[in-house]
Amino acid sequence: MAKHNRGWRLTLGAAAVLPLLLSACGDKAQMNISQQVGGNPSMPKPQDFLVPPMQVPDGVGWKGDAKPQVIAGLQIEKIASGLKHPRQLLVLPNGDVLVVEANGPGEEAVTTPKQVIAGKVKNQSGKGGKGGNSVTLLRRKPGGSGEWDKYVYIEKLHSPFGIQLVGDTLFIANTGNIMKYHYTPGETKMSDPGVELGDLPSTVNHHWTKALLASPDGKHLYVGSGSNSNITENGLEVEYRRAAVLEVDAATGASRVFASGIRNPTGLGWEPQSGKLWAIANERDEIGADLVPDYLTSVKEKGFYGWPYSYYGQNVDRRVQPQRPDLVAKAIKPDYALGSHVAALGLLFYTGDGLPQYKGGAFVAEHGSWDRTPLSGYQVVYVPFANGMPSGPAQPIVTGFHSADEKQLYGAPVGMAQDADGALLIADDVGNVVWRVTSARK
Amino acid sequence: MEARRPAYGRTIFIFKLVLGSFLKRIKSLKSKKGSIMKAETPTSRFSIASAIFDVLDPIPFGFFVAALIFDILYVNTYTILWVKAAAWLVSIGLIFAIIPQLINLARTWFTRGRIRAPGLALNFWLQVVAIVAAIFNAFVHSRDAYATMPAGVWLSALTVLAMVAGRVVLAGNRVVYKEYSHGQA
Repeated sequence: MAKHNRGWRLTLGAAAVLPLLLSACGDKAQMNISQQVGGNPSMPKPQDFLVPPMQVPDGVGWKGDAKPQVIAGLQIEKIASGLKHPRQLLVLPNGDVLVVEANGPGEEAVTTPKQVIAGKVKNQSGKGGKGGNSVTLLRRKPGGSGEWDKYVYIEKLHSPFGIQLVGDTLFIANTGNIMKYHYTPGETKMSDPGVELGDLPSTVNHHWTKALLASPDGKHLYVGSGSNSNITENGLEVEYRRAAVLEVDAATGASRVFASGIRNPTGLGWEPQSGKLWAIANERDEIGADLVPDYLTSVKEKGFYGWPYSYYGQNVDRRVQPQRPDLVAKAIKPDYALGSHVAALGLLFYTGDGLPQYKGGAFVAEHGSWDRTPLSGYQVVYVPFANGMPSGPAQPIVTGFHSADEKQLYGAPVGMAQDADGALLIADDVGNVVWRVTSARK
Repeated sequence: MEARRPAYGRTIFIFKLVLGSFLKRIKSLKSKKGSIMKAETPTSRFSIASAIFDVLDPIPFGFFVAALIFDILYVNTYTILWVKAAAWLVSIGLIFAIIPQLINLARTWFTRGRIRAPGLALNFWLQVVAIVAAIFNAFVHSRDAYATMPAGVWLSALTVLAMVAGRVVLAGNRVVYKEYSHGQA
């Protein structure tokens, strides 16, 4: 009998190994997010985890008339619902709004056991919802109140994201190419089948979004091309023309790398005062809940911003081998940190008159990430600018995208636009809604 | 042999010493076994379990050896293919290890009315070390790129060494083990 008792004790001991492993899960964030916003974010030492920090609220959508909260002086209304993963918005000259509905093409091969599990975790939040691969046109009802009329404008795209109108030419950046359409004002369905202007990097598509911005003279298109990995775990070969801002000739489709080392440039914009190109970028995961802050930065021609070898200037990432001290030395420190894992996905320099207190600054939509606990992001913030540079702390403008206990996710902001009246439009790809923020004064 | 020792170098000499003491330990196990064998006749009720064990047990061992080789290749070449392949080998190896390790557990601690072969307990604990190391290794291999190293290659090495040691310990009991497996005295 004694021998058998001993056997059971051993079995129990072996079973005790599992909780031990689970307790080795990633640490909670130690820093207040405000310590990592601005020009000089404080950054802890990087860590390696058995299981990285992880928190994914359940995607439930907006129930009934529920909507995000806005700060005093503003009001918010729903102008479209039931969309298929709305991502980007474009306001047309006649006041119509185009909504790009898309999600990743789902073409990334499963090459590690981790991807099997990680994919399941991330889809729980509703962020994995199927995209429409289409563009929907929203037109305000003649009466002016309630949700706008919806028309299917373009269909059968391939994970589109960026959209720009230059004169009478509409450009849409699919994950693998830029399409060019002749735009006819007033149409509710695009009559032009479109032609391909040029190709974009399309292997693997770990980061699939291709942000698009036309130069003011319409001669060039700037494309945000995200990296093909978190931190080179898919090999350096697939990072060609990735983690970069590409410059595309709008007439010929020829392109070059304009700036590099920007892990995932998800939004591009012209700073109104200086006329310089700015970008928001999502930084690397899995070295801590407080690393690495996503950022907003001016993009210098031929500038190198660190990825993958380093972050925020010369902070070397040991996960990348062989290392490149020569590139680390010339890595440019980004201008303005937005906080770790906020997952900035939308950038809008506001130039309208509808919300005069925000004129000249930038709105940034923070989609939220899986790699931080407690959650960060899930809000739209305003970054004031003066003399072409950020001039103060980021201020949350639209919040309440998740429940107070961080268990449920109602929505998540992505692309933004400024409509004909100067209202702020926000695409919400978890709630499948487009929101419109106006001044509360009528 | 003595004359050639300097040419082999210090490492080989130490290796021989370790191996020598190991073999001595096995010899002593063997001699103990001999005396116990006469006392009882083993039963045959574990033959099916033994067959399953013999079929499945080499699979995780081979996988973990391959994972070690691939880890070493990754550390030397930084070619991501190797470490991704190693991650699969460690994970799949663990899945294949479940059934044979449960049989090992039962055979070592829960078998009534037969003699426990000497070395079985030591082997069991070496297998536990190997499996625990491999579980940690699966998590370490879920990291991105070189974050898997150097921990990954050390855990792979520990897994393989513990499994090798367990097998060497059992090799001393091979005859007894087969006898009771097949119910032959």
